[in-house]
Amino acid sequence: METSIDFRRIVKDYILEEFLPGENPDELTDDLPLISGGILDSIATLKLVLHFEEQYGIVLEAHEADKEHLDTIRSIASLLTSKAR
Amino acid sequence: MTLTAVLARAPGQIAGEAAEKGQISLVNYFLVVAQLALLLLLLRQFQIESAAFLRLAMLAFAGFAIHAWLPLRMRLPFFVMLSLAGIGVVMGGVNAAWLVTISLALVGICHLPVSFAWRGALLLGAAGILALQRAGHLPFPWSDAIWPILGAMFMFRLIGYFYDLRHDKTPPSPAQSLAYFFMLPNACFPLFPVIDFKTFRRNYFDDDAYRIYQVGIDWMVRGVMHLILYRIVYYYLTLAPHEVANPAELIQYLVSNFLLYLRVSGLFHLIVGMLYLFGFRLPETHNRYLLASSFTDFWRRINIYWKEFMQKVFYYPAVFKLRKLGTEKALVLATLYVFLMTWFLHAYQWFWLRGTMLLVAQDMLFWGILGLLVVANSLYEMRHGRARSLGTPTRTWRTTAVLVFKTYATFWFICVLWSFWTTESLGAWVSLWAALGGEYTARMLLYPSVVLAVIIAGSIPRESLRNVRASAQDDRTWMRSRLVTVASLFALLTVSVEALHLQLGKDFGTFVHSLRSGQLSRLDTAQLERGYYENLLSVDRFNSQLWEVYMNKPKNWLDVESTNLKHFVGGFAQTELIPSFVQTTKHGTISINRFGMRDRDYEALPAAGTFRGVVLGASSVMGWGVGDGQTFEAVVEDRLNREWAGGAFDKYELLNMGVPGYQPPQQLVMAEKAFEFQPHAIFYIATGHEISRAAAYLAEAVNKGIDIPYDGLRDIASKAGVTVGMDEGEARKRLTPYRREVLTYVYGRIAEESRKHGSVPVWIFLPQVREGSWQEETAEAVAVADAAGFVVINQEDVYKGRNIDEIRLAEWDDHPNVRGHQLIAERLFDGLAEKREVIFQPAGR
Repeated sequence: METSIDFRRIVKDYILEEFLPGENPDELTDDLPLISGGILDSIATLKLVLHFEEQYGIVLEAHEADKEHLDTIRSIASLLTSKAR
Repeated sequence: MTLTAVLARAPGQIAGEAAEKGQISLVNYFLVVAQLALLLLLLRQFQIESAAFLRLAMLAFAGFAIHAWLPLRMRLPFFVMLSLAGIGVVMGGVNAAWLVTISLALVGICHLPVSFAWRGALLLGAAGILALQRAGHLPFPWSDAIWPILGAMFMFRLIGYFYDLRHDKTPPSPAQSLAYFFMLPNACFPLFPVIDFKTFRRNYFDDDAYRIYQVGIDWMVRGVMHLILYRIVYYYLTLAPHEVANPAELIQYLVSNFLLYLRVSGLFHLIVGMLYLFGFRLPETHNRYLLASSFTDFWRRINIYWKEFMQKVFYYPAVFKLRKLGTEKALVLATLYVFLMTWFLHAYQWFWLRGTMLLVAQDMLFWGILGLLVVANSLYEMRHGRARSLGTPTRTWRTTAVLVFKTYATFWFICVLWSFWTTESLGAWVSLWAALGGEYTARMLLYPSVVLAVIIAGSIPRESLRNVRASAQDDRTWMRSRLVTVASLFALLTVSVEALHLQLGKDFGTFVHSLRSGQLSRLDTAQLERGYYENLLSVDRFNSQLWEVYMNKPKNWLDVESTNLKHFVGGFAQTELIPSFVQTTKHGTISINRFGMRDRDYEALPAAGTFRGVVLGASSVMGWGVGDGQTFEAVVEDRLNREWAGGAFDKYELLNMGVPGYQPPQQLVMAEKAFEFQPHAIFYIATGHEISRAAAYLAEAVNKGIDIPYDGLRDIASKAGVTVGMDEGEARKRLTPYRREVLTYVYGRIAEESRKHGSVPVWIFLPQVREGSWQEETAEAVAVADAAGFVVINQEDVYKGRNIDEIRLAEWDDHPNVRGHQLIAERLFDGLAEKREVIFQPAGR
């Protein structure tokens, strides 16, 4: 699979469009805590995971749906990149 | 300041410190220590939780003073040692040794050098053996006191730990594992937040140390405030279902029932706050759950650790497995699965804490209904999304009004659902709503107005920054938190000083005084009394503080339960002691004679020259928890024969006809039986709540459709509109205006029948060992007995000035012990001596 996808940008765009419409993109930084900050709840996490599975054929495991892997745009992008290799 | 700008700051930057990980400046250290000293004083002044917790807090705060200066690598082992010391302080050396041994065995299994499947199987095997021991099917060499704490340590944490071992790439160090299971505050709290192991490891000293410690203090102070608010609700606002007679009381019932949850949120704040002192920067346990604006929001805000545990161990694995079915189907099924497991784990938790499974229809219905509501809400959010914001949310008047409306509606819906969950029975809950037919007064607006005011105040837009490092807060927010904490500490301490609160009036002084001690509420004391009188011990909810008392009760407390002593005989009395039954218990032998009396054998009729008295009563008369010959009846009989025999009578016989659980109307049946033994006197031993217990038994009899062979009681039931099959709570409510009349009939008939049979009716009041609501009816009961023509001996003050622990069986069993019976016997003998001429009449019959 192609590995040069800019997941940081894709994840950010998706989060802004799906969960934070109308918010200032500059404020959504790569290290902003999404789960602990209340932006990604279980429903949003599920939507996000399924979106990337459908769009990029990346399969995530249940135990990866946690703060360690999904709390920031940076960590989500890192996980997706590692899976896309 | 925006969330992004705040988060861009490095930890410690705002404080102007460039502290190394875990380091604290001397000034900040003394600031923390000073606040801890004040907090300790506050815990003492308000007797927060228990004496054991105060000792544990002293240990924790002293431990902090050392821990804060240790090199980082030594801190976790130090915390483990401190935690083990805490277990020893609270549980004693032997229990602590057993607890640690079992714990090490369980943790050891998790790390055996075999496959995960084998480790899982071994863990299940070990848990199975422990469960059999907990249920009393297998013997165990340790004390019962271990179970609740062992259960609290492992019942959920072991599941999460094992899950993380399976998936986490970095193996935990021994210190991390031991610190996780032996967490210092656990020794005092069987209800413990389900802390996530991964978070426990990951967030360790991941922020400026001073700020971590300070947040811990904030949360502990907040916890104390929750607990004080809880006491106000628990002592002053709670009502029993049968006391709810009008809409205002119904509203009070609904609100107070839900607010009892403040105890859990208070304790969890205390527990997690204490862990912060040792560097564990854990997430919030509760997030303003009274302000939830939907059911999913409620689920997310209340007991957040539980939600996260369920999400991690059950929800995500299920939803990921089911995703092929489609997102919505997977979400619905996984959510319902989570609520099914929540119900099951609630019963499972009860099992480890109490030793019995809690399988109640209301539990299933409550979790089922909440699950369906959360599913509906989740589907809505899935399709329509929910408002999220990166900073302070922008609100208009309209959006604020909608939010307030949604929050208000959610609050009341949850109150109703909560009442459904916590009311004793479905019938009692349904009958609650009959109160809507009561009088509508302005008082019914009180709670809705207060709740609305709180929700409006709570809906003011604020920074949505939560669960992030404290060093990410701006200076203003940080200083405001400091001010709130210190001001709260000083305000509460000032109010707690007796010389000061008494200055504000006697009523206020009494109010504060009541809040300064942890005790059972009027209702729980009444329920404990109910257990005492009826041996029901029907405490089957975590919401009642009483469950904690019963949690300590050993499985086979007296070796023989009331149900084994008695058998069903039908008729108005329903049960009797089993004739010729003998059982050896840890408190001595219980022997029932051929006539069904807990006494030695007697002839059916008294010999000439023998004075015979029959003693009627309930469990204390029968001698619950003392051996043959140790009941006050037996002690008095021996003394009468020792000191008075040879005078007016050659011999004295007191026949013990006490039956555990007997209520005043049942004594009508027993009195008839007593006359067959031709007594010179009938000694009716009365206890607390004679009036309400008499009415409650009539309600029970009507509810069960038992034939009532007494015209007077039938007439009262008919006047009150009580009919066969009616819910007992509703019947009690309807009988409330006739309560005194019921007892008047019972006493009047016993006294009259006694006189007809030539027996002197004597009424003796025996108090409970614990001061409580039973005292409310004593004066009225004395008046009724007096008016019925009994010779009255009031022993109301027999236990006055005595240490309760010296005269009762146990914390969970308020029956008098051997010493208690001796005290009663001494006083009773004196009382009989005073009335000797009236009672001991040779020509009495």
